[in-house]
Amino acid sequence: MALSTTRRGSSYLFLIPAFLLYSVFVIYPLFTGLSYSVFTWKGTLRDTFAGFANYAALLTESFLDQLLPALGHNFLLFAGTMLVQNTLGLAFALALSRARRGKRLLQTMFALPYLVNPLVIGYLWTLLLSPTFGPVNALLSGAGMDGLAMPWLGDPATALPTVIVIMTWQWVGFPMLLFSAALGGIPQEYAEAARTDGAGSSQVFWRITLPLLRPAMGTITILSFIGSMNTFALVYALGGSNGAPAGATDVLGLLFYRAAFASGDVNAMGTSSSLAVLMFTFIFGSTLLLQRVLRRKA
Amino acid sequence: MKTLWIKLLLWGYAVFSMAPLLVMLLSSFRPTADIFDDPLGLPTGPDLGNYAKAWTEASFSTYVVNSLIVVVSAVLLGAAVSLLAAYPLGRRRFAGRGLFAAYFISGMTLPAHLGVLPLFYLLESLGLIDSLLGLILVYAAGSIPFNVFVLTAFFRQLPYELDEAASLDGAGPLATFWHVMLPLVRPAIATVIVFQFVPLWNDFFYPLVLMRDESKLTLPVGLTHFFGEFQNDWGTLFAGLVMTTIPLVVLFVLATRQIVAGLTAGMNR
Amino acid sequence: MRLAPLAAVVLLSVAACAPSSTSSSALSPSQSQDKVTLSVWGWGPEENFDKMFAAYEKLNPGIDVDARSFTTATEYDTILATGLAGDSGPDLAWLRAGPKLQPLVEAGRLLPLEAADIPGLKDYDEGVLRSAKGDKDGKVYGVPFAVQTLQVIYNKKIFADHGISPPRTWADMIAAAEKLKAKEIIPFAFGGKDDWMLPIVAGVFGTANWGGDAFLDEVRAKTKKFTDPAFVEGIDQLNKLRPYFPDDMTGVSYTDAQILFSSGKAAMFPGGLWELNFFTENAEGIELGVFTPPAPKGGQGLMPGFTDGSYGVSAKTKYKAEALKFAAWLASKDYGQLYTDTLRVFSAVPGVTPTDPLLKEVSTTFDQQGATYFMNEFAYGNPSSQTVFSKALQEMLLGRITAQQAAERLDQSVATWL
Repeated sequence: MALSTTRRGSSYLFLIPAFLLYSVFVIYPLFTGLSYSVFTWKGTLRDTFAGFANYAALLTESFLDQLLPALGHNFLLFAGTMLVQNTLGLAFALALSRARRGKRLLQTMFALPYLVNPLVIGYLWTLLLSPTFGPVNALLSGAGMDGLAMPWLGDPATALPTVIVIMTWQWVGFPMLLFSAALGGIPQEYAEAARTDGAGSSQVFWRITLPLLRPAMGTITILSFIGSMNTFALVYALGGSNGAPAGATDVLGLLFYRAAFASGDVNAMGTSSSLAVLMFTFIFGSTLLLQRVLRRKA
Repeated sequence: MKTLWIKLLLWGYAVFSMAPLLVMLLSSFRPTADIFDDPLGLPTGPDLGNYAKAWTEASFSTYVVNSLIVVVSAVLLGAAVSLLAAYPLGRRRFAGRGLFAAYFISGMTLPAHLGVLPLFYLLESLGLIDSLLGLILVYAAGSIPFNVFVLTAFFRQLPYELDEAASLDGAGPLATFWHVMLPLVRPAIATVIVFQFVPLWNDFFYPLVLMRDESKLTLPVGLTHFFGEFQNDWGTLFAGLVMTTIPLVVLFVLATRQIVAGLTAGMNR
Repeated sequence: MRLAPLAAVVLLSVAACAPSSTSSSALSPSQSQDKVTLSVWGWGPEENFDKMFAAYEKLNPGIDVDARSFTTATEYDTILATGLAGDSGPDLAWLRAGPKLQPLVEAGRLLPLEAADIPGLKDYDEGVLRSAKGDKDGKVYGVPFAVQTLQVIYNKKIFADHGISPPRTWADMIAAAEKLKAKEIIPFAFGGKDDWMLPIVAGVFGTANWGGDAFLDEVRAKTKKFTDPAFVEGIDQLNKLRPYFPDDMTGVSYTDAQILFSSGKAAMFPGGLWELNFFTENAEGIELGVFTPPAPKGGQGLMPGFTDGSYGVSAKTKYKAEALKFAAWLASKDYGQLYTDTLRVFSAVPGVTPTDPLLKEVSTTFDQQGATYFMNEFAYGNPSSQTVFSKALQEMLLGRITAQQAAERLDQSVATWL
């Protein structure tokens, strides 16, 4: 490898500020939180050492009944993010890289939903999709597609796909900007050289552009994976803490939230922390694995 | 023909993208009672009552300074330390590089609410409850995992010859970082800043947990005044939201200019 | 050093905010010289607190009451839990009723309130006081402030226009709903999307079926179960009333339902008394009435109610005597009257009569037909039985399970902790 190997020690100097700040204010609180899982709690007061009792409580029927569907929904969200949001993001980045006029305006408009405060996203979208006065259903029936006018967020069959659409609406600017930045880093001579060799534009895309975008795709895939596994704010805004309707939008983040805050359980701290340990082991482990797989391919 | 279709799709998506924001903007000019009469109606006139109410009752004038201080410092601090860390992680070989990279990712894979109680005790023992500095440190530290991950990836993508050329010129690692690398990752810095600024600017949870003195609260806390359990004052809330979102739009437009500038720089290479 | 320029930037950005962090302790409100400042945390509009507490400040010139209001939902619980755990928390705070109070009690964050300090407590109804007690030690930890009732709110003009009067029998109610539906007015504004509303509405229409407190006592004593036919029949009323709810009701949110009522598209709104305030402010020109659904098998219905919350005193307060004295005032009729008149909600203080005519009417009904709202009494466990049952009711309305199955889920969940 051609990476610089001179003055190795200075690498650590570069790392120190971030390492300290992050260790004290992120890792220390979070791992202290994880350590809570082996204690019994009385509210915010640590009581006795509990061993694995909190974990055992998680393996009861009432939790497992929620845990597995929630995990499944997390994976569906990840698939949706990859197929819809990131594909669109790439498409927009490509289309806009060629656009002459309106580029900045479109870019801004696509990314603007990300700026909306989560306080109102739930309100805005339930309103727009409301079966009683929402314009979406009115437009659909107006266009003669009465069959499509349905309670999008109220039907377990359509709720999760609807969440994916809204998630795309909110986040598409992120892959778009990252891909745009990566596209900007590809020297134009590559494509020009290919064209003079007689390659068509689709060939240029598949043979030249896409392989060069691989690192960016890897980054976006990992971030999408972590984002989908840890998702909370949007599903909470759209379906409440129980993942309505009927748990169709329930995810791990909501499960943790309910275990920690939405019960009158005096030991909620112990129960929720052990759930967090399980989540962490799974999400962090899968992330490292996924990263390794992506690196090997690239 | 094909380009026309693409244009049509792009502008069609723009409509989809903007529609909810338009509802928000229009609603901000309507009294809550009107909204509850016809939620998607148009404002009857240019009524700025909601704005006046939001400005005074949410104490916007007090909170805006706090929000600016906290969010700008936190984003800059977070980006600065992350840049420093991402450079060796992306471009240099040293023992434990993989471990460091994994360590920085791990913070993203945990529910943030998990650490609230320990964080509270920590800040209390440091005397940082009720201090803007405490909030800045928490926010800046929280942005590190995402920043480091994205920036590392960008550093890795830069052509290898750059380091070689720089070290042949006799530049040390810091000089290489400052004069060679930094200008090239500008679009990435802009991206990271935008994507960290927004959630921090909108956050109301940490200020509520970590601040006691009302004169130290931030903008989103003011907004929650209109958002009680059974007391939703939507009209005013929307006005407040429009006001808090405007600085974000300005920031975003400036940042995309940076990104676009970075892109053109890339093309000229 | 070459690091200098960057380090300088970092330090500057940090230093810019340093002055404000050092001045905080000097200006802390609870440390100003002569006056004692009691800080109070709660939820709801802050101006209401200021209005009410001004009366106390006038009576006690040495006391300054500083109220802080937070958003509700779960943020409040977290903020309060951390606040009371640290040294900079409030002296007094609004506490949730029942299950959510227990973690604070068990952690020893609250002072038990004795009748010697708070004389008013002994006059409280036992049912009201129970929600402010520690489950284990049976001590009182809060002065209850509000009682909420659940009923049907109706639009008087729509009723008058269609010659409908508040129903005396279940059949009357169905007939009225039919009449409205024929005129394309939605009878009941009720949505099934936000599942927290479902047990509330089940309580409005079903309590008469299972018969209120006697049934709940038997469940608690384990002589009856939630799978009892009377309870199943009660929640099945939601299925039977389905034709009179909005179309696609499972996609209709709580806010949608409020809009349907406030815009006059729906005639009735089953829900809590707190809606009165909201509709008075936001449903302009709509005259409101209330009624309790009659019992399906004939006779008067039951009006479920619950204690909403209480004022607790922090175990860490620096001004214990002052805080207890203030709490004693909060248990007085003076405060109760102030509360009900300011917030337009029932005060939990015994013997307070609301001035508002509509509230007065509800108060009379509640005295005669009041019952305990079932869900709040059975919201324990993790996952909480409330969570489990809300979801089960939603599945019932989606047609995925029967009322019997929904009741079984509640029964199983309750069995994990009862």
